[in-house]
Amino acid sequence: MKLPTDVVRMYKEVHGWVGIIAGLALFVAFYAGALTMFEEPLQRWASQPSTLASAPSLERTPELLAKVRAQYPEAARGHEVNLVIDAAHPGRVSWRAPGGRRGEHGGGATYFASLAPDGALQVEKQQRSQVANFIDVLHQQVGLPFSHAIAMPIMGGISLLYVIAMVSGLAVLLPSLVKDLFALRIGRNAKRMWLDVHNVLGFFSLPFHIIIALTAVVFAFHDEFYGAQRLAFSDAASRARPMMRAEAAIADTPTLTPVQIVQRLKQQAPGFTPHQIVYGQGGGILPALRVQGNDPRYGQRGPTYGIAGLDPRTGEIVDRSFMPGMQDGWSATTTGFFTLHFGSFGGYPIRWAYFLLGLTGAFLFYTGNLLWVESRRKRERKAGAVQQTRATRILSALTVGVPLGCVAGISVTLAAAKVLGQSASYGMHSAIYYAVFVVFTLWALMRGAAKAGAELAIVGALSMLTIPAASLLGGHGLYDSGALLMVDFIAGILALGLLVIAHSAQRRAGSGAADSVWSARAQSV
Amino acid sequence: MSKPLSSRDWFGKISAAFILGFTLALALSGLFRWATDYGDAYFSSKGQLGMWIMALTWPLILSFAFLFRSASRAWLWLALANLMAWAPLVALGELQS
Repeated sequence: MKLPTDVVRMYKEVHGWVGIIAGLALFVAFYAGALTMFEEPLQRWASQPSTLASAPSLERTPELLAKVRAQYPEAARGHEVNLVIDAAHPGRVSWRAPGGRRGEHGGGATYFASLAPDGALQVEKQQRSQVANFIDVLHQQVGLPFSHAIAMPIMGGISLLYVIAMVSGLAVLLPSLVKDLFALRIGRNAKRMWLDVHNVLGFFSLPFHIIIALTAVVFAFHDEFYGAQRLAFSDAASRARPMMRAEAAIADTPTLTPVQIVQRLKQQAPGFTPHQIVYGQGGGILPALRVQGNDPRYGQRGPTYGIAGLDPRTGEIVDRSFMPGMQDGWSATTTGFFTLHFGSFGGYPIRWAYFLLGLTGAFLFYTGNLLWVESRRKRERKAGAVQQTRATRILSALTVGVPLGCVAGISVTLAAAKVLGQSASYGMHSAIYYAVFVVFTLWALMRGAAKAGAELAIVGALSMLTIPAASLLGGHGLYDSGALLMVDFIAGILALGLLVIAHSAQRRAGSGAADSVWSARAQSV
Repeated sequence: MSKPLSSRDWFGKISAAFILGFTLALALSGLFRWATDYGDAYFSSKGQLGMWIMALTWPLILSFAFLFRSASRAWLWLALANLMAWAPLVALGELQS
């Protein structure tokens, strides 16, 4: 495709600048986001097994519910019956303590209940590790250690830059697309090779990036968009928020038993696997009795589930707006966007694909930074500089320190979940991550990109190995499923990858062009 | 011919797209709202899609604003586009009074 040369040149400059501003934040978002594909398994890997007695059958659940209501009146406001008992949901019945922030972005402590063999009520505060949640928040806030209210607008700004980078990158690539796309020139010209890699990754994952960018803008700015609409358009305010729907309806205590609910649902939606029956909570948008679960043939509205809203008396599906396969066209469209962001369709094969796409995305931004540094070198040499400027040196150090610091920080804080067990709070996970991250970044700034590249990659590989080491320390008793060995296995593979990186960084530091920031020889002069 | 495009006057173009692009996206979502006649914005699926329209158009306007020959043209053309999108909304009585 032909584009005017001035358009291409302009977009090339734009691409470079927005890329360099947003690139490192996007790396963190994509690496952490790739890991959130396996938030549930990671959660299980990191959590200690529950001490509750094995869950009573669904038939005996009304007895358990009655005992919970009698002793914990706050549970009457809203509780869940868990149909799948696992590390994340160790008890048949669960509820949230009052006092915590309710709604979309928070909640108090969660309690699980079961029946002891003699029929006595057992209650346990949630044991599950906060580390998976921490990684998720790191992903949502592009690695920024601020409160939600401050981090989200910044994330939104980054996501706007990300869209601009995508459009401008495409404009730069289009004229030479046919010539360059399938050419991967691995050779002496490092810049050429990185450019080819960057182009191939960027172009072939473009659909993924379009979806991620669009949804990221929504996640950042939905309140602002709704707010602007409410300000601008008539009767938007009077129509807004029939908030009390769920709270009011909970007064009609469902007369159906959990067994009946599951049966009624199975008749109406045979392909839907229910995970959890939820009674009356979650704000005005959700019905008072709903069942969460999934149907791998369709996309799910949530990261891991879709929702069937039931009539509490008849068990009939009355709210289909989040129900996989039963939505109307409008709902299915917005659900499609969410699904394509969360990878919540098609089960684990798609999650693996998204995991790889996420890692690829992180790598794309990393190569972008490398290219920026390389093209600066060329330009500066033309201008007569013998060594690269201070700004380029700082930037190349950050290009090494920030990604490796993020990778290592996540590894160490994940391993810490296993070693510290119960005592590891959210704040502790955060502190561990940022401590590692800051040390890596400062080390890179002090040592320079060339030396730090190899050193930090080796330390990064070691931090990756703390994950299987933590499993070994914990012993097999800490797993509730053999499949979780996969976590340790993948950590081992990533550690090997980091060692390969360390090796090539060392080679370039020793024998690459001496005027480059990647050469250790130049800087030691 | 006019002088070639450059990224030098990015600030004027981007600020035009940031402000007028946002209001244009808002107007487009208003037209969608009128066309599909949805009830409440927050809990109806059409209302949610109306919000997504803003998330789609605003970043795209930001991305393509660089193609304007100059910052003043960016302001001018986007202002014109705003006028064309808001005029029917005013005429239809869709605005908050």
